Amino acid sequence: MNKDFFCEVTSKCMLNEETALIEILCPEIASCAVPGQFVNITCSNFLRRPFGIASVNKEAGTFKVGIKIVGEGSEELASMDEGEGTWILGPLGNGFDLSNNKYILVGGGSGVFPINFLYEKLSSEGKSVKVVQGFRDASQIIMNNDDYILTTDAGDAGIKGNCCDGLNTLTDEDINGSTILCVGPMPMMRAVSSWAEQKGLDCFVSLEQRMACGIGICLVCVCKIKAQEQGIEFDHKRCCKDGPVFDAKEVIW
Amino acid sequence: MSERLFVNVGDTFLKSPIILASGTCNMGRELSEIYDLSILGGLSSKGLTIKPRAGNEGVRVAECKAGMLNSVGLQNPGVEHFIKYDLDFMNTLDTGVIVNVAGHSTEDYIDMVKALDPHKDKIDALEINLSCPNVKEGCMSIGSDKEQIKKIVGQLRKLTDLPLWIKLTPNVTDISSMALAAQDGGADAVVLINTMLGMAVDIKTRRPVLHNNTGGYSGPAIKPVAIRMVSECYRVLDIPIIGCGGISEASDVLEFMIAGASAVEIGTASLVVPDCPQFITEELEAWCEENDTDIRTLTGTLQLWQ
Repeated sequence: MNKDFFCEVTSKCMLNEETALIEILCPEIASCAVPGQFVNITCSNFLRRPFGIASVNKEAGTFKVGIKIVGEGSEELASMDEGEGTWILGPLGNGFDLSNNKYILVGGGSGVFPINFLYEKLSSEGKSVKVVQGFRDASQIIMNNDDYILTTDAGDAGIKGNCCDGLNTLTDEDINGSTILCVGPMPMMRAVSSWAEQKGLDCFVSLEQRMACGIGICLVCVCKIKAQEQGIEFDHKRCCKDGPVFDAKEVIW
Repeated sequence: MSERLFVNVGDTFLKSPIILASGTCNMGRELSEIYDLSILGGLSSKGLTIKPRAGNEGVRVAECKAGMLNSVGLQNPGVEHFIKYDLDFMNTLDTGVIVNVAGHSTEDYIDMVKALDPHKDKIDALEINLSCPNVKEGCMSIGSDKEQIKKIVGQLRKLTDLPLWIKLTPNVTDISSMALAAQDGGADAVVLINTMLGMAVDIKTRRPVLHNNTGGYSGPAIKPVAIRMVSECYRVLDIPIIGCGGISEASDVLEFMIAGASAVEIGTASLVVPDCPQFITEELEAWCEENDTDIRTLTGTLQLWQ
């Protein structure tokens, strides 16, 4: 059951000039959130702002979200300090299917936050996890880990190139039997999904669209998904409620 | 449920004046997971058409000051699917079942009413959508011509005994003549107002934010316009008015009712605070107790300055 909670920020750190990682106290959300889900956070602007859950600490009853400043709403939320509170609706949407034992995670942009939650969850369960993360240049690198394969477009850190160049460094042993989970900008997810198709791997992506309610009642955040029914080209599925996680094979890019 | 809150919209009994507005509650499933919808007077379905509609492509929402623009474009599963999969569900919610009917042509509206009338035992009222601004044909283009309103309502009137609530567009010069045309056609009530036609521009790309270029403006910003239209129409109509537009708190409901509404619809507020109709209901109950007033006695008690 989705609910709206008044939550307090318990800690905050700025990852770079334009991105904050805030920790929020909310046992109700922390106890049941799964990787791939998001929360919709109230700010002074009219609509709430959706953010993917970056981490959960069930014992402490806290979770984290990463906030990249792109406008007034995210700027206000990124400036929240310890002790400040706001209304948060969540956890929302469907998480990733984690029934396989072997995963390759691919992250970019604000997708690095849900990828972090996936990594924590899968590695705590002792599953095989490889991570590839791509950034524009070294100054943009956040939420990175020495175990990850790092790529930058500028080539000033890690492998020069994009996430697919990073994926190409994986061995057949790494790849065989893996499921790819990808969260990032649309062009990146599209490229990774076609890479997965070439390798014959299952691939799931988390789609993003301008959102309002976050709970599936307004139908503004739709994406094109291949229709089940014959004679229909596509279905407009709601990113917030039917997704945000979709099978990449079903997505019409 | 407090006896203080029941209202009658013509012959339609509602246990509370609060109805969830079409297009902001889907068919009720998602919100029923968040709060008990049986506290409501009713729920108006997503706008339905004869055939399923995919709706508009690309960006469908633009945030504005005190509101938002949408250009969903009547995405819906079609009336047949609705009857098969949603109507029975709506009947389990223990609240008024309002079915919102849209179309591209007079024939579409006729076919819709013919399809729904056999299920009249499961429907409390048909809300005839002559006001959606996001489709190229029908809806608002019919609802901004009083002759067409009168004609179409008259034709639908002959097809069903179900209450016909006509949802009108504010994008007209003279709203009271549109409401009177609906009344002349045989409407049981008018719903005032649907969204206001608007546009938002992305200053970086110099293109409209919405890929439909224009959209319907809703939210607290449009409330004064809606209140004015309710008041204006109340003074000339004999049929009841359901007020709609920017309601987000209990005092907004009281304002609408004093101005002339017999019931109200809450729309965009549910997109921001999904359970706000529950808080509003509780506050209205408390207000009625404090003031020893039944809410239905407020309708049209506005005294204009001379």
